[in-house]
Amino acid sequence: MRSLLSQIATVTAMNIRSLPRRLWMSLAMVLASAVVVAILLAFLAMARGFEVTMNGAGSDGVAILMREGAAAELNSVVLREQLNLIEESAGIARDAEGPLVSPELYVIVDGIKKSTGTEANIPLRGLNARGMAMRENMQLIEGRMFTPGTNEMIVGAGVLREFDGFDIGREVRFGKNVWTVVGVFSTGGNVFESELWADIRMIQSHYDRGSSYQSIRVQLEKAGDLAPLEETIAREPRLNLDVQTEREFFAGQGKQLQYIAIFGRVISFIMALGALAGALNTMYTSVADRAREIATLRALGFGNFSAFCGTIAEALVLAAAGGVLGSLAAFVFFDGLNASTLGGSFTQVVFKFEMSPDLFVQGALLALLIGFVSGFFPAWRAARIPVIVAFRNGV
Amino acid sequence: MSDLYLIYKNMTRKPLRLFLTCFAIFIAFLIFGAVTTLKGALDSGIELSADNRLVVVNRINFTKSLPIAYYQKVSAIDGVRDVTHMNWFGGYYQEPSSQIVAMAVEPESYLRVYDEVVVEPAQREAWLQNRQGALVGEKLAQIYGWKVGDRIPVSSNIFSHKDGGHTWDFVVEGIFTGSNEQYDTRQMVFHYKYFMETQTFGGDWIGWLALTTDDPSLNEQVAKSIDETFANSQNETDTSTEKAFNKAFIEQIGNIGLIIFGVVFMAFFTILVVVGNTMALAIRERTGEIAVLKTLGFSSPRIFRMVLSESMLVALLGGLSGLAAAWFLIEGAKATMARFLPNLIMGQDIILQAIGFMLLLGLVTGLLPAIQALRLNIVTAFNRGV
Repeated sequence: MRSLLSQIATVTAMNIRSLPRRLWMSLAMVLASAVVVAILLAFLAMARGFEVTMNGAGSDGVAILMREGAAAELNSVVLREQLNLIEESAGIARDAEGPLVSPELYVIVDGIKKSTGTEANIPLRGLNARGMAMRENMQLIEGRMFTPGTNEMIVGAGVLREFDGFDIGREVRFGKNVWTVVGVFSTGGNVFESELWADIRMIQSHYDRGSSYQSIRVQLEKAGDLAPLEETIAREPRLNLDVQTEREFFAGQGKQLQYIAIFGRVISFIMALGALAGALNTMYTSVADRAREIATLRALGFGNFSAFCGTIAEALVLAAAGGVLGSLAAFVFFDGLNASTLGGSFTQVVFKFEMSPDLFVQGALLALLIGFVSGFFPAWRAARIPVIVAFRNGV
Repeated sequence: MSDLYLIYKNMTRKPLRLFLTCFAIFIAFLIFGAVTTLKGALDSGIELSADNRLVVVNRINFTKSLPIAYYQKVSAIDGVRDVTHMNWFGGYYQEPSSQIVAMAVEPESYLRVYDEVVVEPAQREAWLQNRQGALVGEKLAQIYGWKVGDRIPVSSNIFSHKDGGHTWDFVVEGIFTGSNEQYDTRQMVFHYKYFMETQTFGGDWIGWLALTTDDPSLNEQVAKSIDETFANSQNETDTSTEKAFNKAFIEQIGNIGLIIFGVVFMAFFTILVVVGNTMALAIRERTGEIAVLKTLGFSSPRIFRMVLSESMLVALLGGLSGLAAAWFLIEGAKATMARFLPNLIMGQDIILQAIGFMLLLGLVTGLLPAIQALRLNIVTAFNRGV
């Protein structure tokens, strides 16, 4: 057993030390493996980043109510009368000031994107202090809160990153109305950071919304328990509302980029096939190149199995090197990359690519798989070919 | 023995290697063909817009409405030929997930502004007469199997019918086709008046205006005078060409598209580099044989041609089959994807571009070994003892 292990070690060391002789072929294999890993990681990091941004916003303790069938806040309308009915419903947390209910407005305004210089949709959310308190991670990172009853607003950190002209103190003009930016807020990197927030009464009056709203958020008495609210809605015909927890709502919206993750996996898989063909070529050449060496070893009494392992090890080393290179490239170029896209509510969602450790594991597995498959068949051939034939053909 | 036979023999001396090389090239061009076509389909909305068509939206954002009075005011502006107004309905059929592009329009002017919309005169009259009538695009009608005369319930995810619910009944009065193949006919339009009478909010607001100018050269001037007319009013406007408007909308999808296509193209080129390396090495191995050929009296230019044609052949063999596979893939996906991407067509430019890359690959991988073969000194080659 020990001799077998030492044989394998010897052959492996020999193969790896002779790599420089096959420099170009070896580099080709490293590159092939690196590209496949980098592509896979890029797509997965994008999908992961979007998912984190969406899901981070959803809380089980908060329910969101919108008009039935509306699907997005933008499409919904909730009347003052409906708000009053909801405030009296069971199942809502209350404090000294009454039920924890936040009626909100969601309108879209234009901002100039830094990356393209073109206009893109930003959500302007009207809400009150209660609504802000419901966003658990919300904190002002700069400046101060807007004063209710004035044209002041605070901007999300994501908006500040991706759009021009929202720095503190700047006056921003939407149509006829001029707003002043007085603060920057963070909500821990989730989707609310892609929004502008202002006093709901000001938005109602500037956007001719009368006393209507678009959605209602309520703090649930018991996290995840929608039953009392559902019962209120079923009992009262005036309440044509859908209720869901905030987590469900955002999970639904986060699905969008899952297609990109699937697309990425399909592309990486097809690419991996192409790269595998390249890698197999490399390994076959490598084996042909050393046919005489391998035959010599076997003539000296080295076993077939150690010759086999030596070749596999060479392939694994090259593929792993490619995997490391690909992961590093993906990390350098993509981790933390700012991106924004049109989200489910028809507005820009600003998010960051996120290269989490489990993605590296996936990349490493893919690289090793490529190495193993591309090493296996040539190694099989190297170990099987009769010594005599190898000497005769080994140019 | 013809040169072609020699080239063939050289190519197939190691069938496995030939297969693997061609396969890698096949994959690269399969992806290139499919992804470029996909990108073209996404961008097609921009190229199809008419040159002299402008869109007037609320300055705050195009989702905010405008007063209907703007319709008359804009039509009075110099240089405006026809103008129509439209409202986004947020339509879906039966299931909220099966969304339909449905708009409430002013019927007569709509047909004038969108002259790509082709509808038989009899159907056109019938639609104009029937307030509850809808004009449905050919592809949309195909998807749901609608025929002229059908009564179709279409729901809205935004508006409520004043009789309760969110569903409107329309009568299909006409089915329109596009004057060119790429015009997107997965949409339907219906009477603005019927919409306003039946939805709960009432009021006289419109989503946006679309207009044609007398001449594309007037676009800028007309846009400016429209925006000036409404400057400092409660609803300021933003007028742009349809092309610019569509482009801005597609750019909202954001740098994501750019990143994805960038990554895929990088991969495409890397695979070509990897494969090219193998191909070049495969020829370089044969220095000894080339020396023998020269000794036998093959002229240097002849060998140069042979080496180069071999790599060209390999590149084309893999590349063309990959492109063909991409074409079949797209033809297959067309039917299912038609609802999201109507213009999934592998155009001539994509095919030419791909063939260009194949030739480049063949040239780059073949040229260096071919030049070496051309210059090869027989004595040195044999001395090298290869």
